[in-house]
Amino acid sequence: MTRCWLALLEAPATDATAQAQVHDADGCPAGWLAAWRQRAKPVRAARRVDDRIVDPDGEPASISLVVPPDGVRLAFDGLAVQHARRRVLAEPPQDALSTLMRDSSHFEGAITVARGMGVARLGDDPFARIFPARILRVSAGVMGAASAPAGPTIERYGSANPWPWDRFDTDAP
Amino acid sequence: MTIDLPPGRPFPDIELRDHAGNRRRLSELIGGDPVVLQFFRGWWCPKEQAFFRRLIALQDEAEVAYSRIVSVSVDPPAVSAAFRAGLGARWTFLSDTDRTAQAELGLRETTDTLNDPYVPAVFTLYPALTIHRAYDGYWFWGRPTTEDLRRDMREISTEIRADWAAPAA
Repeated sequence: MTRCWLALLEAPATDATAQAQVHDADGCPAGWLAAWRQRAKPVRAARRVDDRIVDPDGEPASISLVVPPDGVRLAFDGLAVQHARRRVLAEPPQDALSTLMRDSSHFEGAITVARGMGVARLGDDPFARIFPARILRVSAGVMGAASAPAGPTIERYGSANPWPWDRFDTDAP
Repeated sequence: MTIDLPPGRPFPDIELRDHAGNRRRLSELIGGDPVVLQFFRGWWCPKEQAFFRRLIALQDEAEVAYSRIVSVSVDPPAVSAAFRAGLGARWTFLSDTDRTAQAELGLRETTDTLNDPYVPAVFTLYPALTIHRAYDGYWFWGRPTTEDLRRDMREISTEIRADWAAPAA
């Protein structure tokens, strides 16, 4: 699996694989959402995501970005995080989603990508029951669409891989 | 009618719409895991409702056991989505509303000319889609118990997981 990193920055990155400007619900600029496909962590705020959600040709989208407060982390296997993953599988799928992580053991947020009818459901993001969520509007050029997780697996395929990546590295085509 | 999909044979890599209306290929849904592939008559059948309670009981184990479940019927996606939600299922339901896969697989229940549904059948598959076991569920007792499915998932996992025996000092 290619390592993929995501960060919300104040200014555009010089070396991102894909990035786009972000606005909040009032239309005010809220920074740049940048993604990198590389092994090394690109910036301090970057967190790993499922590679399939990033697309340099992706259309504009709304996102629910869940990020823990500074200094707060939860075990990825904690019951609250497990249950949020179950809720995601139970509900109608959105265009794309990924959990966020920097190491192999902690849940450090989630991003859910919605377009069309799905935008209205962003307010019910199961991960927003764990940490605060920001609903943001992302311009074209960074967020793609990925097939919904097949279910019912809520475990990660290798502790370093953000859920819902759905196969062990040795299974990769 | 006899189901002509015996163990050892590759299962066709069917492509159908899921409960959200998106086209999904069976091989994509299976990924690299063992799978319980279930064909059912429809939401309206009490025998199916009873069997789904078995699968729901298995779901809490499958979600941590790197195993998949896929259910297929001729119900439209919106009906499958509602049935799935009502059951509390968290796996993918596929809809074969035009019955193309049903014809390809030879799994039409010929005795029900009103609903023209799938004949109830369950297959346990290897990730490469090879059939491990096939269950003809026309009569309810022909269907696998949760113990049967646990055994099948264990047998497949034993073969496909290179580290099945835990590495130890």
